[in-house]
Amino acid sequence: MQKLVTAILGVLLAVPALAHHSFAMYDSSRQVTIEGVVKEVQWTNPHVWIEVMVPNAAGGNDQWSIECTSVNFMTRRGFSKHTIKPGDKISITLSPLKDGAHGGAFKSVNSLNGAPLALEPQD
Amino acid sequence: MRFLTRFVVAATGLSAATLPGVWAAVSQPSKPALSSTYADPAQPDISGLWVVTGAMYFAPDRAVPKLLGEYQTLYAKRTAAFKAGVAVDDTTAECLPAGIPHLLIVPYPFEIVQTPGRVTLLYEYDSAVRRVALGVTPPEHPDADTATYNGDSYGHWEAGTLVIETVNIRADTQLDFSGVPHSDALRVTERLRRKDASTLEDQITLTDPKAYAEPFTVTRVYRLRPKWKISEYVCEENNRNKPDAQGHTRSGVSAGPSE
Repeated sequence: MQKLVTAILGVLLAVPALAHHSFAMYDSSRQVTIEGVVKEVQWTNPHVWIEVMVPNAAGGNDQWSIECTSVNFMTRRGFSKHTIKPGDKISITLSPLKDGAHGGAFKSVNSLNGAPLALEPQD
Repeated sequence: MRFLTRFVVAATGLSAATLPGVWAAVSQPSKPALSSTYADPAQPDISGLWVVTGAMYFAPDRAVPKLLGEYQTLYAKRTAAFKAGVAVDDTTAECLPAGIPHLLIVPYPFEIVQTPGRVTLLYEYDSAVRRVALGVTPPEHPDADTATYNGDSYGHWEAGTLVIETVNIRADTQLDFSGVPHSDALRVTERLRRKDASTLEDQITLTDPKAYAEPFTVTRVYRLRPKWKISEYVCEENNRNKPDAQGHTRSGVSAGPSE
């Protein structure tokens, strides 16, 4: 049930995307899920950024840059500065960059350290 | 002068029906104020914290004004670039203001404050402020030399609807993030009315004889968010999306090497 609620919340909260600059660089028609370990969280405006190290086929890691909405938006969605921390194991759904680089526009957190993320959005 | 007239009407109880023009509206029954913060029934209470509903396109159905000549060419260029993953001429990517009318549809809350002779709109986005003088006649023609991002706003009440006209708007902003252009001849007419306790409606008409073949009207709806508060928003803090020398905005990936 918890998973279901979280999944529904994730879908509901997937819009709007960015609200500072054009989102031309992202393919909003596609969604990709990545799993890796959080390297850094920039809890900043105009956008929050999450850097994630994602295992690649060569046995190493690729660094993915995930662009979220603003601190203001993320806070209203129920995130805090400490929700996601370096070292956390994370699964994130994103809209990928059109140019194929390792990055995307944040959509939702599927799991954090193996558990669904329970957020309390402001109403 | 208009304000003075209204004051006299209010103070003396003179029937506004005896006054010409727009003032006939004052005597019509209007919805009672929803709180005592601003008790004049001709100027309903629209104060509070509001946030837009619907899409981030200027028109929720993605309609676009009928663009003229060079503006059509400019929009076609921006649309092609957008599809290819590049934003062109996007001033917001440089942390410059979205400006009016884009500011009217950004998904951030704004607060309306009503005081005698003025309505003030305090936006979270860009920390922008619009000071709307009531009862001051707007200039007939926009003045490109004094144009600003948010322009100059003039308001008056018409039967419970706040009409705001904004002119002197810079030409280098866009209607939304999809890049719809306008010129410095743009005049934005808003008709704001409180539909119910938690709903504010804004009928926005863009008149731009240089860039548009005809006026373009959309209606946007704002929802009251009494539990929210407006927070600071400083775009310059960590802007990873600065445009390049050609004005092209791409991603802000850190491009960290694989390990």
